[in-house]
Amino acid sequence: MMMDRVVRRWRTWLGLMALCALTLAFIFPILWMTLSSFQAGDKMFDLTASWIPREWHFENYPNALGRARFPLYFLNSAVISIVVTASNTLFCVLAGYGLAKFRFPGDRYVLLIILSTLMLPIEVTLVPTFLIVHQFDWVNTYQGVAAPFLVDAFGIFLIRQSMISIPIDYIEAARMDGAGELRILWRIIVPQCRPAIAVLTIFSFRESWDQFIWPLTVVADDDMRTYPLGLVIFNEDYGTPPTEQMAIAVLATIPVFLIFLSLQRAINKGFGLSGLK
Amino acid sequence: MMWAVGLSLTNYDMVSTPHFIGLENYRSLLADHVFRATLLNTLIYIGGCTVLITLTGLGLALVINLGIPGSRYCMMAMFLTNLMPVIAVCLVWKYLLHPLGPIAQLLRPFGVGRVDWITNSATAMPAIIVVTVWRFAPYFMIVFLAGLLAIPKDYYEAAQVDGANALWRFWHITIPLLAPTIFFVVVVAALLSARIFLMPYIITGGGPGNATRVLSMLIYDTGFSYLKMGRASAISVVLFAIMMAFTLLQMRLFTHSERAGA
Repeated sequence: MMMDRVVRRWRTWLGLMALCALTLAFIFPILWMTLSSFQAGDKMFDLTASWIPREWHFENYPNALGRARFPLYFLNSAVISIVVTASNTLFCVLAGYGLAKFRFPGDRYVLLIILSTLMLPIEVTLVPTFLIVHQFDWVNTYQGVAAPFLVDAFGIFLIRQSMISIPIDYIEAARMDGAGELRILWRIIVPQCRPAIAVLTIFSFRESWDQFIWPLTVVADDDMRTYPLGLVIFNEDYGTPPTEQMAIAVLATIPVFLIFLSLQRAINKGFGLSGLK
Repeated sequence: MMWAVGLSLTNYDMVSTPHFIGLENYRSLLADHVFRATLLNTLIYIGGCTVLITLTGLGLALVINLGIPGSRYCMMAMFLTNLMPVIAVCLVWKYLLHPLGPIAQLLRPFGVGRVDWITNSATAMPAIIVVTVWRFAPYFMIVFLAGLLAIPKDYYEAAQVDGANALWRFWHITIPLLAPTIFFVVVVAALLSARIFLMPYIITGGGPGNATRVLSMLIYDTGFSYLKMGRASAISVVLFAIMMAFTLLQMRLFTHSERAGA
């Protein structure tokens, strides 16, 4: 009995240590990025320098923002990501509802077609997508950068799966009371799918905030650049200290973390982790 | 996609009108050693990432699932690697792996001399794979955790009463019941790594030589640096074929689980 308790306590301690080590290994790059963004330019690649800056160089941030047109690039990224996220959420909820709760001839095939066509990532369809956008004369425009991402097949699937388990009785009762379909969707369905919608929101925001290969292809004009393109140009320019790149990287990370924190409870549920201690 | 297949049979360059040239693009691709090296790199990359992401994700999920106090917060912290913008990930790792960077600093007490992780053709690809695993494993950790939480506790308790040890329980309860999740993770991780672009593009630029060039980079370069749209489409068709193989597997899984759920 005594023995048992000792063994169990040791196991907990060992587990705790393993857990801390793993967590540290995973977040170390994030910590280092943040610390380096305050580091003096010549201390970053110095085998003897300490990772915690001896002097905090807060001016790295304004310097970095001033060096290229980063405020503009961030604005471009924000506009595109917000439009993409909003449109994705809206269309995936509508399409998901249609596919989950309405039976019509060929409904299964519609789902399969949506999955098999829209699931192709931009890396594969780069050339034809570019030629289409080119024909619309949307090269170097917001609509050109955002268009390919406005509806996401994975999102439709995710939302459909979360709606499919909602009992049809609710919907029929509401229909009996004379509620319109949109009202049913908004008042009855959406509140029950909040976790799935939260997961969709964070992922579609991250996806468009991260998007690189497509803006690289379709944007040639400096006014339309998104922040990742700005960073790459920064990167190619050897005159700029890496500390300032880290400052921009930190600024780019903050919005995604904030959205995650604000949706965190719903996201945990959406992943099916509500039972976790 | 149909359009891409059509284009892949032409010599379109965005200036002159496209001419039908049959399978010429594919023939010249097969003869091109850069293409062959790139295809091989892509397959190695997909294989390496898929295996390591699955194992790491499962390992992390098992540690979190021990139910040690505070594991919830550790899980959230690890998940942050999956939310950080990819461009930030690439730049940070590029500097972490710098011959005078922090990783060199960490390894120095162990007698590891100067290693040019990124510019050495033997270590460049493993380095990119490690970065990819770092980014994606925590996401799959969450997928695995959801799968683990769905396994009824009674099974373990019953096995414990019967005197089964932890290893036996893992092998005979956890693994079989987690099999659909494992399969899902393998397919999704393979699809994710098939489309990778930014990591090799930023961290190594495809080099040294062509050691880390992958298909998506070749599509971009061929189509938009050399304006060979026909040839780029042919490469897209190859990448599409690889991904289609995994997508078919995935659809099979979806329809399967649908039937099981009904």
